[in-house]
Amino acid sequence: MRRKIKPVILLLFFLLISATALCASKSRVKHLTSITGNSEIGRFGLLGGIFFDENRNRLYFTDTTNGTILAFDFDEEFKYISKFTGGGALTSPTSIVKDSKGNFFVAEPGKGDVLAIDMGRKSIKTIDFSAVYGANPIYPGNMAVDSEDRLYIADKANQRILLFDSSLKFEREILVKKSRGLKDIKVDSSGRIYVLSTIDGSICVYNSEGNLLLRFGTRGADKGEFDFPTSLAVDRKGLIYVADQHKNQVLVFNNKGRFLYAFSQLGWREGRLHRPSFIYINSSGQIFIVDRANTRISVFE
Amino acid sequence: MMGKENMYPHRIFTHYLIFFMAFLLSMIAVHGVDATGTEAGFKKCLECHPGIQQEMAQKGRHEPFKKYQCSSCHNPHASNYEHLVKDKISVLCKSCHKGKKGSFDKKYSHLPFEEGACLKCHSPHSSKNPKLLAERGKQLCFGCHADEEMFSKKNRHDPAKKGNCLSCHSHHTSDYEELVKKSPERICVTCHTVKNKKTEKAHLNYPVQGANCISCHNPHGSNRRHLIKENSHKPFAGKKCTQCHNPASSADPLGMKSKGMSVCTTCHPSVKDDFRKVNTHVGEGVFCTDCHSPHASDEAHLKKAKEKKICTACHQDTKERLKDKNNKHKHPSVMEGKCTDCHRPHGSDFELLYRTDEISACVDCHKRHATFTHPVGKGTIDPRSKAEINCSTCHNLMGSPYDFALRFDRKKQLCIQCHKGY
Repeated sequence: MRRKIKPVILLLFFLLISATALCASKSRVKHLTSITGNSEIGRFGLLGGIFFDENRNRLYFTDTTNGTILAFDFDEEFKYISKFTGGGALTSPTSIVKDSKGNFFVAEPGKGDVLAIDMGRKSIKTIDFSAVYGANPIYPGNMAVDSEDRLYIADKANQRILLFDSSLKFEREILVKKSRGLKDIKVDSSGRIYVLSTIDGSICVYNSEGNLLLRFGTRGADKGEFDFPTSLAVDRKGLIYVADQHKNQVLVFNNKGRFLYAFSQLGWREGRLHRPSFIYINSSGQIFIVDRANTRISVFE
Repeated sequence: MMGKENMYPHRIFTHYLIFFMAFLLSMIAVHGVDATGTEAGFKKCLECHPGIQQEMAQKGRHEPFKKYQCSSCHNPHASNYEHLVKDKISVLCKSCHKGKKGSFDKKYSHLPFEEGACLKCHSPHSSKNPKLLAERGKQLCFGCHADEEMFSKKNRHDPAKKGNCLSCHSHHTSDYEELVKKSPERICVTCHTVKNKKTEKAHLNYPVQGANCISCHNPHGSNRRHLIKENSHKPFAGKKCTQCHNPASSADPLGMKSKGMSVCTTCHPSVKDDFRKVNTHVGEGVFCTDCHSPHASDEAHLKKAKEKKICTACHQDTKERLKDKNNKHKHPSVMEGKCTDCHRPHGSDFELLYRTDEISACVDCHKRHATFTHPVGKGTIDPRSKAEINCSTCHNLMGSPYDFALRFDRKKQLCIQCHKGY
């Protein structure tokens, strides 16, 4: 009898170890490549936001210091395509998004504006905020566009999200209550709105009507708590990734807000992060991070 | 063969039993010869530590000490800790002193308590003072807090003058900042009534019930009458409350005349541009009062508190980093809490709200480094990140265990981060 039990115990032990290893390998995020400045495109300045055009497989990001939008095509590796300055119209661009019609929206917080750029018609317009009221003048932070081409703008000076319809008419606002330091916004394919506030380290998830569905996250030293969260992104499985500028890590949570794991650490070599300030995930699961103090875009998958 | 196999468990059990009995006997033997716990045993300790005899003569004695139980705190043979104590002082003390009803678990802690430095205030064996305190009353508190400017002011609050610190402050922990016993709105009215004509007149008939008195009055001392803080906002000094607030006779007397930052920027318009930067401290509502006092302050620019306190109120993780004793090398401005030496408090187009680009900001003070240093700036490349080399490539000014706040030990790891092959 004892002879029979021993192999069973060994087998169970082996299965347990294998399952643990499998889970660990599943959660592992692999560094793919880094995009850095070079003699061809020049040195990067302070990098702002990222947008990935799924239709064209093209990555766009802003160089705030140099007042440019850079474009890279992805075909096994990232290849530099072009630089756009808007004929000097861009001064300090930060966040960038694009709608399905090909219009770019770029935040210019220094001017308090969001620019709507139609590359085809070569026109740049300023979004009209005259219908928006608030205690403070609008400070446009990060932005998002949903599947219906509605534009969401995080207004840092009024702790709210401004929602514009596809014709750029102001629709309504979503107040991000009981939070401080509104920083980032993303919208998933189902229309759920994810909002990050840095000072209290909270993540609020709203449905497309703006009703709060979930609130989680706190700052602190414990596992799964934030030092200084700066940006968030959602993958196609609904996992929420939060870039922490002072932890130099990305913390991953499930769709209920339960902490799962973290990846990367402080460092200068590829795969490491130094003050990550923005995160974006495309539909193929590639994770793009503005690795600000390393002056590069780090790509993971 | 089968019979022999079946015997193994019995043998193992017998061996375990013998070993356990031997261990138990040895423990009893050791305990039996423990010198402490009896007066005779205590005398054994006295042979080498005669000084403790004097301590034993004190009126207030620590309970284990009184009972000659030296070994309840000390290990007579060996320890990893000073004075052969059994554990870190914080752990050792808290193994018996757990605090009443969660009194040790409040939001704010006295620094020695937080650091587990119980012996900064308490004597471990005995004391002539209650609660085994090393000193009595104000002598104890002023041992650390004597330098604080507020105690040397012309007018002083009575409890501060008499050194009755515990009238207002808790000694270990509190739910409120500065370890005050009650909320800022409730602490003063414990002794002072505000619902009287004199107080109402002094406040120009604006309601002050439920107000935070400490926002205008210094609870320790001031050179100004009524302990009003040293610097006043111009409208406050000129009693022109209606410049910002509704009239005292209105339905909402404390309501503001305008909304958001315009309450402040109407008179301080240039500040608006400070917040229109890529990195900004812009916030919700009248966010200026997050950092500035609208009425009176002891700090320059009517800052609500000392710079470090204001900044770390939001930058909590930086506060923890600054407290980390491993990071003993810090930039002098960091140690002095002068955050604005390097960072712009309103906004900046540079990373981390630096007042200019990082290298220029550093060489403003470190002039020699402008001409003689490791190559930095344009044309340099950190081979690890392919980014430009700057000062913070090698230095971590917020704190580091290494000389000159370097990121790595310069004798071992620093240079070979990039210069391989040595």
